[in-house]
Amino acid sequence: MGAIESHLPEIWLAIIGFFLLYYAISDGADLGVGILSLAATDERERGLIMGSIGSIWHDNQTWLVLLGGMLFGAFPLFYGVLLSALYVPILCMIFGLVFRGVSFEFRENSRHPAVWSRCFGVGSLIVTLSQGFALGGLLGGLDVREGVFKGSVLGWANPFSCLVALGVLCGYVMLGSNFLVFKTAGPIQARSYRTSFAASLMTLGISILVHLFTAAKYPQMVRKLTTLPEAYYIAVFPVLAAFCFVMLFVSLRRKRELAPLLCNAGIILFSFIGLSLGMYPDMIPNVVSSAVTVHAAAASKDTLEFMLQVTSVLLPVILVYTGYKHRIFQGKVTTEAYSGKDE
Amino acid sequence: MDTLFDHVTLSRIQFAVTAHFHILWPVLTVGLSIFLVLMESLYLKTGDKRYYDHCRFWTKLFLLNFSIGVVSGIPMEFQFGTNWSPFSVAGGDFFGHMLGFEAAMAFMLEATFLGVMVFGWKRVSPRMHLFATSMVALGGSLSAFWIMVANSWMQTPTGGVFENGRFIITSRLDAIFNPDMPWGVSHMWVACLEVSLFVVGGLSAWYILKRRHAAFFLQSFKIAVVAAVLVAPLQILLGDGSGIAVFHHQPAKLAAIEAHWETNPPGRGAPELLIAWPNQEEQKNDWAIGIPNGLSLLVTHSWTGPVKGLKEFPRSDQPPVTPLFYAFRVMVGIGFLLFFLVIWTLWAWKRGDLTPDRLPTRKWLLYSWIGAVPLSYLAMETGWITREIGRQPWILYNLLRTSDAATMIPAATVGTSLLTFAILYPLLFILFMGFARRIIVKGPDTHAG
Repeated sequence: MGAIESHLPEIWLAIIGFFLLYYAISDGADLGVGILSLAATDERERGLIMGSIGSIWHDNQTWLVLLGGMLFGAFPLFYGVLLSALYVPILCMIFGLVFRGVSFEFRENSRHPAVWSRCFGVGSLIVTLSQGFALGGLLGGLDVREGVFKGSVLGWANPFSCLVALGVLCGYVMLGSNFLVFKTAGPIQARSYRTSFAASLMTLGISILVHLFTAAKYPQMVRKLTTLPEAYYIAVFPVLAAFCFVMLFVSLRRKRELAPLLCNAGIILFSFIGLSLGMYPDMIPNVVSSAVTVHAAAASKDTLEFMLQVTSVLLPVILVYTGYKHRIFQGKVTTEAYSGKDE
Repeated sequence: MDTLFDHVTLSRIQFAVTAHFHILWPVLTVGLSIFLVLMESLYLKTGDKRYYDHCRFWTKLFLLNFSIGVVSGIPMEFQFGTNWSPFSVAGGDFFGHMLGFEAAMAFMLEATFLGVMVFGWKRVSPRMHLFATSMVALGGSLSAFWIMVANSWMQTPTGGVFENGRFIITSRLDAIFNPDMPWGVSHMWVACLEVSLFVVGGLSAWYILKRRHAAFFLQSFKIAVVAAVLVAPLQILLGDGSGIAVFHHQPAKLAAIEAHWETNPPGRGAPELLIAWPNQEEQKNDWAIGIPNGLSLLVTHSWTGPVKGLKEFPRSDQPPVTPLFYAFRVMVGIGFLLFFLVIWTLWAWKRGDLTPDRLPTRKWLLYSWIGAVPLSYLAMETGWITREIGRQPWILYNLLRTSDAATMIPAATVGTSLLTFAILYPLLFILFMGFARRIIVKGPDTHAG
């Protein structure tokens, strides 16, 4: 028990990481699908594309709410500081989420579905870019002193975060295309293979740049990569991510249906772990003064322990019923499945 | 300009705007999902196709309502971090994981099974479908539970110590079961039921009045009436209990709600004011009409029980009296009006008016039910005004002031986001009403009547 007790913040970092990854992969695909729907040829096709996420986008988006709540609970300082420092991108993300969510539902009831499906696409784009800028803002470092953000409200707007935002955009488009490859057939699927190929190439290029810039910014990352044996643990993740990229290209060429999506999830998983391990023990990097560490940002030991007990029961339950639901709705999307009417 | 519209004021207005609009939707989600479980169970039990039609019809409204409720609620959670960062840091050790549990226990359950409930009629067995609907309902109520636990704790923060600007939990159970919690949870949950009952009853009344599917909607109307017989008086009792809890744990709030300035001297009861013109500047009422001894009787259950006057609290610890005084009276007034409406309807039922032929002619009764829909929402909103403005000037009662809890962000930035919300949310509301109207005008696809 002693080992668990002293490492509660790290355990929670891992759990929060899991929530973040689940959200980024599942809703990232939904957002990508939303962006791709803007490029659909007609409204029927747009309906099919949106229909592919009809029964799942609610729960995927809920992982963000879950992530927010658990982050607030386990790392209140991180939550308060991060969200206030990134006020503008976070609020833009929220506006985008609201806009996108209602558009999906209004489309169902409207006589002008085309208007609402465009709103859905634009909303998805706003959410994606906002998340990209928020991530860029965090990776670029936040000036936090004595638990209060001291930087500028527009500090997140810089060339580095633009690059990250572009990377997130390409990444979500890649995820969305791979999801459509899995869920559709015919012309939409054929086009999604091509889109995924292009988006994957762009994502690969940008993520290499992001990794390099981040390493250049934070000397501790370079230090870890040059000290043995630590370097082995950390370097293995970018290597695995690169391997997933190779497999993704191979599976796209071979016109596999599920494999591209799985490789894509692997890319996100391994890049995330690699970056987090490189940053550790910092949770909020800071280029001006000292960073906020994982332990400093965490809630009290009691709270973390209690949350861990509750979560260790809840999370498996959530995963079981989520899995069950995916089984109910497995298979290719059809026009009927979208409308929610009698099939 | 700086004092009127500083970042604190703007953040407060932003939270108030988003909260007042947001709460319109979840109340119906919580109550209507329980109604759907009931209808679906009746369908499985009796095999009567009309119950199935009810499920399909009300689900359309439910889905629209649910989706807007969910997305309009996302800003609530995130605002604690963006606009109330010092509060998040100070209270996060308890408040944070309450929101986390809400998401993990309730929200996820609701959102996942919603997909099965809406899209799964032909994909799962009828029993499994009922299970999915029940999980959506359970999720809704659990979510209300955790949110109210968190909010109650802000009203009566127990279970820990406040040290160096941070709340450290010593007893989690004491924090969860804080003094306000039983009342906060029950009063709000029953409010959800009551609003939903009057929405179901009021919309059914509209169809009956228009003689559209009168027999069909008489079914839902009668269910609403029967449930309201239990819920409307229960809510009045719970309100009374909440008032007594406020008297014991938040005396300044009670005094402000009642515009009660001077502690009543021994041997003399405090009056319950019906109408008054509070003057906070001079710490008195310019004029007032009240029931002698009413307040003492209500909160102490004795004719002359002492009730602390607001003057006993320093000006800096007093909440604003006028909005509280009137918001509270609007809420209570509507609570009683709804109760009388239920009695009136029962009387009509006893006279044999609740038949598809006779009910459409009882126009005033039906109009009253339609009017009760906005009134029930108004009661819920004024209840929240009473609860939240009554907590001022504290964000954590007697521990942390609201003015110390807002993030230091430039007023112009908060102003911009506030403006965006102030345009977006009313627009959402208008669009929601428009699409809800379309669903209602189109009416149900029925197999009979």
